Amino acid sequence: MNYLKQLILSCATVVVMGCETVAPWDREVLARPEMQLSTDPMGDALFEQVYLSKEASAGGYKTAGGGCGCN
Amino acid sequence: MGCPCELRFYGKKEKEIENAFRQCVARAKEFEHKYSRYLDDSVTTSINRSAGKSRTTIDQETFALLDYAQVCFELSNGFFDITSGTLRQCWNSQTTELPSQIQIENCRSRIGWEKVTYSETEIFLPVKGMELDFGGIVKEYAADALVASAQKNGVEFGLINLGGDIAMVGPQADGSPWNIGIVHPTIKGATIAKIELSSGALTTSGGYERFIEIDGQRYSHLLNPKTGFPTDSMLSATVIADQAVVAGSITSIALLNNEKEGLRWLEDSKLPYLAITKNLDCLGTLARTD
Amino acid sequence: MKKIDPLLALTTAALSLPVFAGNPPTEKEISLRASSYKEDDISKTSVLSGSPERYKIDKTHFRLLTPIGSNWSTEINTSQEVMSGASPWGTFSGSDEQPSLIMSGATIKDKRTEVGVSITNYQDNASYGVTLGTSHEDDYKSRSIGLSAGWDLNNMSTLGIGFSFSDDDIEPTDAKKFGRIQQAKKQTRSFSVSWTQIINANSLLFSGLTYTNKEGFLSDPYKLRDTRPDKKSEWAASLKYRIFIDSKNAALHLNYRLYNDGFGINSHTVNAEWHQNISLRWKISPRIRYYSQSQADFYLDADDFSLPKTVNQSSDHRLSGYGAITAGIQANYELSGWKIKVGFDRYISDNHYGHDSSRYSHPALLDFNLTSLGIEYKF
Repeated sequence: MNYLKQLILSCATVVVMGCETVAPWDREVLARPEMQLSTDPMGDALFEQVYLSKEASAGGYKTAGGGCGCN
Repeated sequence: MGCPCELRFYGKKEKEIENAFRQCVARAKEFEHKYSRYLDDSVTTSINRSAGKSRTTIDQETFALLDYAQVCFELSNGFFDITSGTLRQCWNSQTTELPSQIQIENCRSRIGWEKVTYSETEIFLPVKGMELDFGGIVKEYAADALVASAQKNGVEFGLINLGGDIAMVGPQADGSPWNIGIVHPTIKGATIAKIELSSGALTTSGGYERFIEIDGQRYSHLLNPKTGFPTDSMLSATVIADQAVVAGSITSIALLNNEKEGLRWLEDSKLPYLAITKNLDCLGTLARTD
Repeated sequence: MKKIDPLLALTTAALSLPVFAGNPPTEKEISLRASSYKEDDISKTSVLSGSPERYKIDKTHFRLLTPIGSNWSTEINTSQEVMSGASPWGTFSGSDEQPSLIMSGATIKDKRTEVGVSITNYQDNASYGVTLGTSHEDDYKSRSIGLSAGWDLNNMSTLGIGFSFSDDDIEPTDAKKFGRIQQAKKQTRSFSVSWTQIINANSLLFSGLTYTNKEGFLSDPYKLRDTRPDKKSEWAASLKYRIFIDSKNAALHLNYRLYNDGFGINSHTVNAEWHQNISLRWKISPRIRYYSQSQADFYLDADDFSLPKTVNQSSDHRLSGYGAITAGIQANYELSGWKIKVGFDRYISDNHYGHDSSRYSHPALLDFNLTSLGIEYKF
C-alpha cells in the first residue's frame, strides 16, 4: 500500500468553524444559490423569450438556440 | 459550534478530494448557520425567540434531531435535556460565587424538555426565556453528515474531527488505522491513552476542558438539569460507535450522571469505552491500549 | 436507567436522522412554471382600423433535470404557449404626421409547443453538452441543435464555448387570401465564447461574446409592407457581476449587454437584481432593467407604398429607436425540497427613454405585465 503515499495529491487541514478563513472555505459564499450566474433558469428562459420577441436584441452570453415565430 | 475542526482527506484524484472538501466545508458551515445559538438567523434562535409566544415552523431535519433528543431524554431519565442550557446563566466562566437557590430555581423554571411540544412541522417552547441548545447533538451529527458526504464524493481515506468528535471516512492512506490520543484530564498537553481506529467514530466527553472555579473548588461545566448544580461525575468518558451522534450521546449521558451511575451506563452500552475516574483510574475495554 | 438497551435505542433513533436514511439522490429536480403575459391595449386614437386589444400569452413550462450516474445529466424542457390578440399590420402617417396603426381585425389565436432535450457529460475539468430542440406553431416550425463545452482552467476561471444551428420553416396563415409569402426558410448559426472569473470570496465576473448569423426570410410576413435584408449578423457582448454583501445577507447581480447588428441597430441593456435572504425559507428579489435601442437603417415611421417591393423598409415598432424600463419583484419560498416562486414584472417603453430614439414615438410601443408562478421539487 506504500505506492498510495506517492499518489497523495491533496491533504487539507483547516480551522472550519472558528475564526480563520482559507481558500476552499471562501467558496462557500460563491456556492450559494443566489450567487450563481443564473439563479432561476426557467425564469431566465421566460424573460429571454419575451425580450427576444418584443425587442430587437438578443444574445450576449449564450448561443441563439432554436427559432420561434414570435420575432 | 465554534471549535477548531479538522478535515483530512486522502485520495488519488486531486479534483475529487478538493470537491469533497469544498462540499464538506459548505455543509459544516450550513450546520452552524442552521443550529448555532449565537447566530441571529439560525433555526435555534428563531425557536428560542418565540418561546412563550408562538409556534415555530421546522423542517424534517430539525424534527429528526428533536426526536433524537427525545430518545436521549428518555434513556437518561431526564439528565440529557436540550433545554438545560439556561443554567449557564447561573454557572459560567464569569461565576465567582455560588449562585443562590433562588437564582437556580429561577433558571430551573425555564428548563424541562417534557414541557416542550413539537410535531413534524412545528415546535413550541411554552415558557418565556426557555431555550433550546442543539450543541450536544449537532456537532456529532454534523461529523456523521460530513463523513457521508465525503464518502459519497469518493473519498476513501481520511477523518473528520469536529472539536474532539472524530468520525472516520476511512483508514490512513496506506490502509493503516489512525492513532488517536486521548487527552490527559489533568496534565495539559499529555495523552493518557492511544486508540487505533479506522472506521466508525470516537467521542470524548469530559468536565475537565472547561470548568468553573469558585473558592478554589472546581466545578464541571456539565450541569445537571434536575438539581441545577454541576455534575459530580467521572473526569472523562470516551466511546467508539458506528455513528458519532450515538457515541456522543453515550459519553454525554455518562458525564451527566455521578461516577458510579456513569460507569454502569457505559458498561450497559456494550460499546468499547474508556472512563477516567476522579482518582485518575483508567477503566473500560479501551483502557489497556497504551 | 430504563430497562431498554440504550445502544439499540440510540442507534435506532440515529438511523432516522436524514444522513443515515439511505442515500437520497438529491439531484433530481422537477419544475413547473405558469406565466401570464399581457400587453396593455393601444390608445384608440392611434388605431386607424382593427382592434386596439393586444397580445396575451399564457405559457406553461415543464422542466425535468436528472443525473445519470455520476458523470452525466439530462434536462428535458417542454412548454406550451397560447397566444391571442391583435397585432399591427401597418403604420400610416396621420393628418398631423403622427403615425397611426392598422391592426389585424379579428383576434388571432395560435399555439406554440416547444420541446428541448439536453445531455451533458462532466469530466474532472470539463463538461460537454448537446441540446436538441423543436418548436411548432401553425405558421412556424423550427428544429435546432446546440453544442457547448466548458473548461475549468485554474480553479479560478472557467472558459465556455458554444455553437447552435437552427433550421426554420415559415408558412404564414391565409397566405393566398392576403397575398403573403406562402413558404419561406430561415437558418440561424450562432457562436459563443465566455469567461467566468472568481474575483474573491464574495464576487465573480462573467464576460461573454456571441456572434449570430441569420439567413433567409427575415421580414414580417403579416405586415402589409415589410421588406428586410435576407442576411443579418448580430454581435453581442455581455458582463455579469455577482457580489455577496455579508452585512445585508444579500447578493447583488449587475448585468450589462452591448448589442449591434447588420440592420444598423445597436442597443444597451442594463439590469440589476437584489437577492435578499429574509430567513432560511424566504427570499425576496426586486429587480430593475433598462433597455435602449437605436432604429434600423431601413426603418420608416410610416409604410411607404410608393417604394418598389424590393427596397428595404419596415415600420415595425421593434425596429424603431426607443427605450424601455422593467421593474419587478420575485418571492421564493422553500420548504423541505419544495420551492415556490412568484414573480411580477411591469414593462413600459417609450421613445423618450431611448439613447438614440426615432423621431416619432411608435404607436405600437409596448407596455406589458408579466406574472409567473412556479413550483419546484428536488428529490
